[in-house]
Amino acid sequence: MTKKVSSNATEFHVDTRFQQMARRPGGISRDEAIARAQNQIDEVRPDLEAHLDRELTKLALLMDDATENPANLRWIKDANDHTRQLRNIGTTIGLELLTHIADTLCEMFDRIRKGEDYSLESIKCYVDSLHLARRGEYRNIKPEDVPELTEGLRQVAEKLRRKTPV
Amino acid sequence: MTSPAINLRDLVILVADPSSYLCMLVHGMLRGFGANKVLEAKDSMGLLQSLSAGKVDILLLDAHMPAPGAPSGENGGLALTRAIRRNADNENRTIPILLMASDTREATVKTARDAGVNMVIAKPMSPAALYDRLTWIAFTPRKFIDTETYFGPDRRFKIEGFPGGVGRRKGDKPIEIGAEAGPALAQNDIDSLFSAARTEQS
Repeated sequence: MTKKVSSNATEFHVDTRFQQMARRPGGISRDEAIARAQNQIDEVRPDLEAHLDRELTKLALLMDDATENPANLRWIKDANDHTRQLRNIGTTIGLELLTHIADTLCEMFDRIRKGEDYSLESIKCYVDSLHLARRGEYRNIKPEDVPELTEGLRQVAEKLRRKTPV
Repeated sequence: MTSPAINLRDLVILVADPSSYLCMLVHGMLRGFGANKVLEAKDSMGLLQSLSAGKVDILLLDAHMPAPGAPSGENGGLALTRAIRRNADNENRTIPILLMASDTREATVKTARDAGVNMVIAKPMSPAALYDRLTWIAFTPRKFIDTETYFGPDRRFKIEGFPGGVGRRKGDKPIEIGAEAGPALAQNDIDSLFSAARTEQS
């Protein structure tokens, strides 16, 4: 039913096919669905891990390019894209620390792309930390489990921000 | 309280993300939930082709999906959402849209809500977060609003917790709307921001 709610607005009910069908009996319970989804993730985990390794390698190569050609700033967009991949997948396959570090690095790249100054050394520090977080012993480690590392990285990011007039 | 089960069998679910690995991940989760008709689109052309080729029941759209003609600096996923909602000839105009966003700052989530998405889910996403939001969309129907400047789900609603109490937040109190920039929001805060629309619009 359509209802005129003001001179220029109408509201109406929509019962989409998704809603009708998703509410049918015979669905998979939440716990079972989540367990099955986790199994599916485990099946593709090797592909995802290989993908993350490739992204890390590309990121390291971009750092080399940035060192050799500091005037060419195109690497920042590419580095941001690779870092976003790490952020978006890390936690889902048990690499929460990797996602945490990548998340902060993405924020740094966003600010740089908006014109803020940057320190390549600080970015390299984050990239090194990403490689560290990718190692097996950091699997299932949360940022709060390694306070010295996360605090150190936070200070690096903070130092970079303080250098930058906002 | 038991969470209601969702039945995704035979529903056409379109996952649109430029990353084939993200598509693979989401596709896997949906298969785990029982979905058997999952389509993938890696770019806006593929997305629009899928939407025009036939009925799609729900769209999971990446906020960063490149979109031709999107305003500079705006996430393409939002431009695509607006394009879908505004096209009166599109039979998929009212499909549920779940936006997958890695940028979950408050301003971005508000913009997504105002573009007409049903819900925002933060990347990286967990199976539980995805299941709960699909359940919420399925069991919490919302009216559509059609105005000169907006076509989409009614933004004036209140989340009373996810069906069955799963994922319920501490409260549904109105929240202060902050400055343009800010930290990324946690998933619960994203949900709160949707419910805050009622306060803003009243």
